Amino acid sequence: MSMTSDDGPTPPPQPRTPEDRVAPALVSAPAFFRAPYDAATWRAVAALGTGWMWHLTGGLVLWILVVVSAGLVPALGVGVPLLAASLVAARWFGGAERARIAAQTGVLILAPLPRVRARRGFWSGLWSPVRDNRAWAAALYAFLAMLISTVFFPLTAALLAGAVAAVAFVPLGQGTALAQWSGLSWPATVVGALAGAVVLVWAGAALAQYGSYLMVRLATYLLGPSAADVARARAAVAEQETRLAEAAAHTARERAVVLTESRTAAVSAADTERRRIERDLHDGAQQRLVALGVELGVARRLADKDPEHAVAALELAHREIKETLAELRDLVRGIHPAVLADRGLDAALSALAGRSPVPVRVEVTGDLAPASAAAQAAAYFVVAEALTNVAKHAGAESVRVHASLVPEDEQTRLRVIVHDDGRGGAEPSPGSGLEGLRGRVAALDGTFELDSPPGKGTRLTVEVPCAS
Amino acid sequence: MRIVIAEDSVLLLDGLTRLLAAEGHTVTGYGTADELVRALSTADTELPDLLVTDVRMPPSHTDEGLRAAVHLRSLHPNLPVLVLSQYVEQSYASELFARGARGLGYVLKDRVADVDEFLDAVARVSGGGTVVDPEVVTQIIARHHGSDLDVLTRREREVLALMAEGRSNAAIADRLVVGLAAVEKHVTNILNKLGLPPATDDHRRVLAVLRWLDQNGSH
Repeated sequence: MSMTSDDGPTPPPQPRTPEDRVAPALVSAPAFFRAPYDAATWRAVAALGTGWMWHLTGGLVLWILVVVSAGLVPALGVGVPLLAASLVAARWFGGAERARIAAQTGVLILAPLPRVRARRGFWSGLWSPVRDNRAWAAALYAFLAMLISTVFFPLTAALLAGAVAAVAFVPLGQGTALAQWSGLSWPATVVGALAGAVVLVWAGAALAQYGSYLMVRLATYLLGPSAADVARARAAVAEQETRLAEAAAHTARERAVVLTESRTAAVSAADTERRRIERDLHDGAQQRLVALGVELGVARRLADKDPEHAVAALELAHREIKETLAELRDLVRGIHPAVLADRGLDAALSALAGRSPVPVRVEVTGDLAPASAAAQAAAYFVVAEALTNVAKHAGAESVRVHASLVPEDEQTRLRVIVHDDGRGGAEPSPGSGLEGLRGRVAALDGTFELDSPPGKGTRLTVEVPCAS
Repeated sequence: MRIVIAEDSVLLLDGLTRLLAAEGHTVTGYGTADELVRALSTADTELPDLLVTDVRMPPSHTDEGLRAAVHLRSLHPNLPVLVLSQYVEQSYASELFARGARGLGYVLKDRVADVDEFLDAVARVSGGGTVVDPEVVTQIIARHHGSDLDVLTRREREVLALMAEGRSNAAIADRLVVGLAAVEKHVTNILNKLGLPPATDDHRRVLAVLRWLDQNGSH
């Protein structure tokens, strides 16, 4: 939203062409009408004036030098070094002109590429300015620009001076020979003089702008980079853009591969998890409920003829129910622990530590609440599985669990470390709980690092983005 | 009578043993299919009056019990077997009934919780009858979405399902609350319409019906 305007976003400014900038009177009618008091006009007059002086001094010397030394080339010993020096000077002259034009008209002309020294050596070094076509172009510019400024500046000055004279004629001219020469009455002569002044002012202003514009165009062609260089530069930019696009596409493809892999891992982790739950339900609660049904059936059938056995069957059934409930509680905790949802990861880790047969020290740095529910759940199951593995395989004396939020680049990550002092040498084999967790972590764009040198304990470090 | 049970859940094995013992049977239990096969495949084994076996058992927890049952039936064709399955599957049923249906039962394990029905199945199978779980029958019939069963009336289709479960005419009459004569008339109609030979024998009739359903079902 725009803070300063209610009319919506302002359109980006149009790039101004040299015509707009140097010769507005030639491209738009309003600019033509205000030409006499347009800053562009007086910039143009100044540019033509200084240009004229400069072209008639430095420029004239330069192109005479070039022409004369070129004429002396057949006398190699003198002509070539002189020509080379003149062309180096032409380059320098071109630079000065670009700076002058930029300062006086505001049109920026890019410098041509520096000349190329193809080979080393005295002669080729001497020849290289001579082979520099941009230097020749600058020399040509010196000549043509001198012609332009020599034509346009005096003409403009004459027109403007004529206008001044026509105005001056009104208070001064009455009764002079000039006033009588036309044969008109004095009032008509005054009107004619003023009309002439107006025409002369506008003509002078337009001529100044046009001359300045011609000079700028000429400088653009002859002092800027050559058309071939511009084309090469454009091609290089296009090539660079293509390379960047290809690099971006490559990165995207790699990311797609990573995502596909992590999605597959996530699917297979979820599948393994579902199978585990099915197995747990089938081997546990379902069997117990069937047995419970049998027990109650026995009790019912024995109720009359053998009450004592019937009561025993009922007691069995009762015990069965309690055990089934405990088993379901464990199973549910394995699917998603209520404490995690209700009290957060901190409390859930304490609960895990409390159930572990190996002594666990839990350290939590800061508040973990900013981590998303999915991130916290992943961290919880990593710790749960790791503690189960420690109890089963590590032969450890103690375990340290550390959880913290670590800022990284633009996202904060939830890091959990499970470090035991057991026998080490753990690796996630396919189908193992650790492998399933690795898939779960990968699906959240997290990292999973298992460091388990034999005899030196196992350290599992998992990081998942908080926002996942 | 003497009953052998193969069941890996100690709890359920214990419950079934006490249930059947309370009914006056002598029960021997095995925890794995291997133990069961070893116990019953020696030449001088005195065969029990009934074998009750779970399908899913160690070590692979897939269909060890079923394979043991099929194997033991091929050794002892007259050994009555009642197979308990965690879930019923038509292909298991086809495998089991491939060599005949006399003294053979295949029911969902959960039905054991309905003690009366379980004891009824035990009695029927050990007596040479056939018991097919209603869910298996539903599955088989569900594959006949073609027109081949359209020749039957709704009542006849109900009777067909009960026949497929291995029920006798009397049991069918009882279930549908109709007279025995009415059931016999339905059965004759069904057998005629499906082109099956009239069979007086219940288990032979079950086999014919199952086979017809199996062969004509879409695969």
